[in-house]
Amino acid sequence: MTPVVLGGYSARAYGQTAFLDALASVADTNDRVLVLVQLNGGNDGLNTVIPLDQMSAYNNLRSNIAIKEDKVLRLTNTITTGLHPAMTGMRDLFNEGKMSIVHSVSYPSPSQSHFRASDIWFTAANSNQTLTTGWLGRYLDSEFPGYPDKYPSTAMPDPLAVQINYITSTSLLGPSQSMAIAIQNPDTFATLVGDKAAIDPGTTANTPAGRSIAFIRQQQVSSVQYAGQIKAAAGKGKNMATYPTSNSLADQLKIVARLIHGGLRTKVYYVSIGGFDTHATQTDATDTSIGAHANLLKMVSDGIRAFMTDLKMMGIDKRVAGMTFSEFGRRAGSNSARGTDHGVAAPVFVFAGEGIKTQFVGKNPSLTDLDGNSIKMQMDFRQVYSALLTDWLGETTATANSVLLRNFEPAPMFRQIVAANEDPLVTFGLYPNPAVDEVLMESELFGPGGLQSVQVVDMTGRPLSVPVERLQANTYRMSVRELPAGTYIVAVETGRRKLTNRLLVNR
Amino acid sequence: MPWLSTYTQSLTRTQAAHLLRRATFGPTAAQLRQFTGLKPAAAVALLLADQPTPTPPIDTTTGKTFVDLPFNNDLQTAHQTALKNWWLGLMINEGASVREKLTLFWQNHFVSTYATVSDARYLYRQLLLIRQYATGNFRQFVIDMTKDPAMLRYLNGNVNVANKPNENYGRELQELFTIGLGGQYTEDDVKAATRVLTGWADTGFRSTTSADITVAFRANQHDTGNKQFSAAYGNYVVKGRTGATAGDEELADMVDMILRQPETARFLIRKLYRFFVCTEITPAVESNVIEPLAKIYRDNKYELKPVLTTLFTSDHFYEESIRGAIIRSPLELLVGQFRFAGLKTPEHGTTAFNQLGDYLRGRAREQQMDVYEQPTVFGYPPYYDTGLDRIWISANTLALRSLFTDQFIRGQIRYNNVTYGLDSVEVVRALSNPGDPVQMMDELTDLVFAVPLSQSQKDFLIDQVLVPGLPRYEWPAEWNDYAQSPTNAKRMSVKIKLDNLFLFMYRMAEFQMS
Repeated sequence: MTPVVLGGYSARAYGQTAFLDALASVADTNDRVLVLVQLNGGNDGLNTVIPLDQMSAYNNLRSNIAIKEDKVLRLTNTITTGLHPAMTGMRDLFNEGKMSIVHSVSYPSPSQSHFRASDIWFTAANSNQTLTTGWLGRYLDSEFPGYPDKYPSTAMPDPLAVQINYITSTSLLGPSQSMAIAIQNPDTFATLVGDKAAIDPGTTANTPAGRSIAFIRQQQVSSVQYAGQIKAAAGKGKNMATYPTSNSLADQLKIVARLIHGGLRTKVYYVSIGGFDTHATQTDATDTSIGAHANLLKMVSDGIRAFMTDLKMMGIDKRVAGMTFSEFGRRAGSNSARGTDHGVAAPVFVFAGEGIKTQFVGKNPSLTDLDGNSIKMQMDFRQVYSALLTDWLGETTATANSVLLRNFEPAPMFRQIVAANEDPLVTFGLYPNPAVDEVLMESELFGPGGLQSVQVVDMTGRPLSVPVERLQANTYRMSVRELPAGTYIVAVETGRRKLTNRLLVNR
Repeated sequence: MPWLSTYTQSLTRTQAAHLLRRATFGPTAAQLRQFTGLKPAAAVALLLADQPTPTPPIDTTTGKTFVDLPFNNDLQTAHQTALKNWWLGLMINEGASVREKLTLFWQNHFVSTYATVSDARYLYRQLLLIRQYATGNFRQFVIDMTKDPAMLRYLNGNVNVANKPNENYGRELQELFTIGLGGQYTEDDVKAATRVLTGWADTGFRSTTSADITVAFRANQHDTGNKQFSAAYGNYVVKGRTGATAGDEELADMVDMILRQPETARFLIRKLYRFFVCTEITPAVESNVIEPLAKIYRDNKYELKPVLTTLFTSDHFYEESIRGAIIRSPLELLVGQFRFAGLKTPEHGTTAFNQLGDYLRGRAREQQMDVYEQPTVFGYPPYYDTGLDRIWISANTLALRSLFTDQFIRGQIRYNNVTYGLDSVEVVRALSNPGDPVQMMDELTDLVFAVPLSQSQKDFLIDQVLVPGLPRYEWPAEWNDYAQSPTNAKRMSVKIKLDNLFLFMYRMAEFQMS
């Protein structure tokens, strides 16, 4: 299906699709894999995804680093949004329908501290909340309870998560320890950690020292237990595509592809690349399309492209989805050192071998409606997590709620969206419009069975909950008292079709 | 519990070892003898005594210093290496002083890195500054660090000018260097601090024609308006000033404003406590240790020596629960083993000196502690991130730690025909009764481990590791035979047994504790 986005106004369809049905049936046993790509330092989103519809505001805000309009990479199906010139690989992925751009992702009361903001993304905490477990750690704990004591098991003989590094991310911290194994080199891992642990278990006291000793022992045991599985998978897996060289991210993704191909049943892989804290000289002085930030984006784009190509050649790309994230975006306006200071919202890329339905979630950030000098949020990052947990990994809404600690409506990249003016004929009566406190919805099409669902979404695609009651067979009443003034899309579903209309709330 | 009251007993060997492991990179056998039996106050006075400034680093390729020369593009890698190895050498060779450990603490506090600054002369200047203030006055330290050429480069203070602010330093000054996020300062405070700091710039960066590195305040680039701070700072206004002295005056005004906040002293004391004492800060520690030490810091106008003296002579510091409570950092492991074995580096500036430095930095890097190359301005993650010192430990880093200790014990670290390793036979010979396996093991494990081992663990080490499959009396037989007529062959036979013992002990989880 062709993704439908018109004018950035989108609403999420709610009905069960064949895709979701298929997903639900395999939820317990699916072999899907999630890859996290961390861009450490705060990526400058505005030079990554470029708003071609606002080039004059864009140039004014950042004249010393603005990408020239004729250099911006164009995407199919849109004339308003383009990519940084270094991102040819991700442009191709997008044009093949395998990547979604989620605009302006952040969270309420954003932090501009690297440390704090990273922790918020890692733990899926609210801005004013601190958590000691990571969101992926909680997901893995719900899927594989009893780790580490009950693992490896017959059902899950492999590491639950693998991070290509020497250490593991806070995202992967479970209730008692990291749910991931850190691997730098799968070929030498087994040799490095040794074939068997020669540790006298002893006993440990409940003191700071005792607790750390117990932790270290568990690390020794875990690594040794998994060494054989990793070695076998590394030996069996074979990369098929050519990866870029001198690209630390591609190096990591290459290992991930090989381990998946080699048969590891690991659910989550984690890779990262640093250097995005571009306070100065993020572009070349004369050519803004090259320089430090361009090099980083090229590594990300080329790396992910090669990874997906490799998986496709292996025939396993349909099992793999990934997302990029960074702790925050950067200011819309540049500083005098050809750099950008810490900002707020930024785009997130979600890529998958199959299943991407909506290629733009939200719309280009408005450069004339900034918060201070920062880009306002359209989508909470936990909505992206929620989509990955439910629509990709097949978890139930209840599980996603418990992992994310409350309900976040999934961002709709894996679901078909409905555009406001998709089909002007398939609509229904909505009055008064503009409304103040109540509106009536009427249509012959509602039919005897009535409505299966009613959904109201704001202009960024965020669903909102409103009370609805049926007055007569073809008439429903909806309260809009709790909605802020603004424009909304109302989408209803009868037994046979979807109907939409546009609603203005005025006060 | 007495907490910060002074511990007045003479130090046992175990306590002296604890003090030296925390305050330095670990004791040599001689230092341990020197400190055992001292009163804590006398021991700490020795540790805090002022030290002479070391001679500058030497570039091995030329045999000369480079820090007083113009930048040399062809030799920049050599100079970078020389600087880092020089510092590592000072850690290994230093006597019983807190200076090098504190230098590491402060370098990880005021982070700059070679990867960003890319002029070793700049970092040398910064290291001198850190050494100068390591045990000194924090107010002057933070003022001078704000204007330090390497810091101006690392956090872009040199491009922070009126009307074109660069917030990098203004933010980190508050979040990381002084008051911390607990200070509740606002984004507007970041902007106000940034305006106070406008106008500073370094000169001489990578200059191939001049050796002069200077810092200048450019009054015409300074934002002369008043800077309004938030309620976090009592709504203080740093009055805008003009002229050549405006930068210094406003900086001092702002630093004093920040240092007046009790949270600033608390933030710094917590970080010191986590580095030197224990990463867990319980509510009781917060109120009985952190808060009173923060008060001492403030009352002494941010002089560090009174704080360290109180801390290192306190009852709390010598509590058993504090001993072994911190996971060794990679540098504590690497440098500590050199010191434990009584090794010094080869002569500074020689090829072997550099080779050894390169080797050790390579090990530190793979264990996630690259010297003078923190991954971010936050410093090494185990000093701030969730999980703290446990972040040092993963399947990989544990294996890499063992890789080093294996090489160290097996004598595989050799430069210019000198082996840098542990002479296990000499360590055991120095014990009071090496021929008695029980007494030997008691003393040896007390020396090697920060935490006491259980009797069953010690029995295991004797029966399963030292003389596996043999009755215990074989050990005194072998040892005494060697001690009475030390031939090479007999030495080798006890050495193989003792090396195995060390290999095993160094792979035990307890060994990672400091």
